[in-house]
Amino acid sequence: MSSFTEFGTLVKNRHRPKDKPKDTKVALGFLAPWLIGAIFLSLIPMLYSLVISFTKYNMIKPPQFVGLMNYRHMLIDPRFLSSLKVTLTYVVISVPLQLVAALALAVLLDRGMRGLAFYRSAFYLPSMLGGSVAVAVLWKMVFGSDGLFNALINLFGASSSMSWIANPDTANWTLIALHVWQFGSPMVIFLAGLRQIPRELYEAASVDGAGKWKQFTAITLPQLSPIIFFNLVMSVINSFQTFTQAYVVSGGTGGPSDSTLFYTLYLYQQGFASLRMGYASALAWIMVLIVAVLTGINFALSKFWVHYDD
Amino acid sequence: MMFKRLWKKYLAAVMATVALTVSAACGSSVGASDAPVVPADGDVTIRLNWWGGDARIKATEEAVKGFEKEHPNIHVDMEYSDWTGYWDKLAVQSAGGNAPDVMQMDELYLAFYGSMGSLLDLGKTSKYLDLGTMDASLKQMGQVEGKQVAVPMTTAQYGVIVNNDVLDELGLALPDTERWTWDEFSDFAQQVAEKSNGKAIGSIAPNNGYGLQLWARQHGEKLFEGNRITISPETLASFLQLPADWAKNGIEGSAERWSENTAAAMNDSDFGKGRQAMMITQATMITPYAQAAGTDNMTLVPMPQVEPGAKTMYLKPGMYWTISSQSQHPAEAAMLVDYLLNDRSAGEILGTERGIPANNDIRRSLADEATGTDRKALDFVDKIQPTLGDSPAITPNGASELDKTIVRYQQDVVFGKRKALDAAKAMIAELQESIDFAS
Repeated sequence: MSSFTEFGTLVKNRHRPKDKPKDTKVALGFLAPWLIGAIFLSLIPMLYSLVISFTKYNMIKPPQFVGLMNYRHMLIDPRFLSSLKVTLTYVVISVPLQLVAALALAVLLDRGMRGLAFYRSAFYLPSMLGGSVAVAVLWKMVFGSDGLFNALINLFGASSSMSWIANPDTANWTLIALHVWQFGSPMVIFLAGLRQIPRELYEAASVDGAGKWKQFTAITLPQLSPIIFFNLVMSVINSFQTFTQAYVVSGGTGGPSDSTLFYTLYLYQQGFASLRMGYASALAWIMVLIVAVLTGINFALSKFWVHYDD
Repeated sequence: MMFKRLWKKYLAAVMATVALTVSAACGSSVGASDAPVVPADGDVTIRLNWWGGDARIKATEEAVKGFEKEHPNIHVDMEYSDWTGYWDKLAVQSAGGNAPDVMQMDELYLAFYGSMGSLLDLGKTSKYLDLGTMDASLKQMGQVEGKQVAVPMTTAQYGVIVNNDVLDELGLALPDTERWTWDEFSDFAQQVAEKSNGKAIGSIAPNNGYGLQLWARQHGEKLFEGNRITISPETLASFLQLPADWAKNGIEGSAERWSENTAAAMNDSDFGKGRQAMMITQATMITPYAQAAGTDNMTLVPMPQVEPGAKTMYLKPGMYWTISSQSQHPAEAAMLVDYLLNDRSAGEILGTERGIPANNDIRRSLADEATGTDRKALDFVDKIQPTLGDSPAITPNGASELDKTIVRYQQDVVFGKRKALDAAKAMIAELQESIDFAS
């Protein structure tokens, strides 16, 4: 969406002396490929889905206007509520865990150890792979009854032959683990942020007798808070939209017993399996609303803990 | 000022585009083509699609080659995908007016596509497509709202596939299976699990719409009647309870092992790995399972029944061929279906990969020549003949997700999230709502 804002600024500023009108036209020309795609492949389908959300539509018969029926149906749909619960559990647990893991490793790596570049790449690698189908398939095997995870546990004397994927009490945890495992991209951003903190602060603090932990809580955390905030917001938005992993690991069902029925997966099932496109569109718009509210809450709370220097 | 006016202009443009797209999309209700059902003079290309694995791709391509040789002016474009992807794609293609001329169809989706008017009334193509080669009760299961819109190409019968290697290793002998009850079945399955010390499991409970249909019939009920779910909550509850009981007494190993087996591909399942004694499934699955488990020592016996000998079985269509109502070449499409259904050499090439051929002559000639596990599957139709009853109503529009719904509620019961009777009532309510919504 930020590209839309930039486009808006561009149009708004076109008569400012700094930008000649000709420049704006040239810029718009360069933007055209993206702009056409954004309007016809994103903006219009999005608005169309808003229209569809007020209809009953199975993709073959023409949509039929039904008012707020789809939205009212959510109130009595138990699977809608359970998908919301599964997704919120996932977000609330996996996002903080992932950020803590990313921050801890970033602080460790920031000490300028030997082979830093190698470790940085090694830890970043899962982020490149984590969203892919191949890794989700791999995950399914790792946590299966004959999987690597059980082999690992059994090394320590336990004898587990339980399938972590097939048990509704543990299935979501395997996906949370998959999310936490992809701590690489917030870690790289944290690393960049840590480099921005003036070294003098630490020097002054150690002269004053502050220990490592005190330095971390009194200098690193407040100085890094805008970066933490950025990672938090992005992470919440992204993890709310998790789809691929749950789809692959549960074979598209969200099972066992709806324990991995993520919101987006339920939306997909309603749209493409049950062919209730109207309901699926309504679900999509409610998701937009939920993500907007969560982001809003994040921003509202940020003024209590995020410190900007300027 | 300028800025305000400019934005108004943009806004108007966007609104106009949206309005246009919306009205265009709403207007695109895809109507049937009015193409006359006569063969074209020149060259014609028709499209054929199906779901399935490598063996099916190879066999179908070879059979289609034979068809193209017989009709040099017809070219057939073939598309295929896996089960889940197939239905996603078909829905989108049908919405876009781009459905293939000939489509493989499943009983779960037949009522949906049939009642949407997406399928050609085959009464119009009777000149090119002969449906007289199959049983009348089977043919009837290709009808939606009184119109023949689908051709059952195969039948599927549930039976119990027995892996004798597992039994031999444990020194167990199968009891009399000609007229056996569920109690006898589960007692024996439990012996397997106990004697093998958890290495092998006895069986896993049926977990799909076909299994539920037979369960209802064995209890003297019907699963559906028209657009109503008519199975009683108590009977459904006993079906949902079955895997929970079998997980507890060890027949399925454990709840997780059952859950994993229901989701596993054939090669990853216990039965496919030769670690399960009996599998309740379609008779023709005996050959692929025998290959997966690496043994020929498998036999096929009838399903256990509540009342042994009752007429609870029926000729279930395995898969159908359907022709799109949007097809520009309905005559050629019908000729292709006729070839795949009735041609002797096509029948030989296709074999039993899609199920037991619906064409009785082809089935018999295949049975005469077949050997090994194929032969057992083909002979099984005659074996269950005495227990064949009337064919049931097809799955109504809106219940296409029946198989997945059953597994989900069974999981709720197996993992103790709900009591079986509560689950049964909730499942009936959910399915009925979905059917009412769709119709």
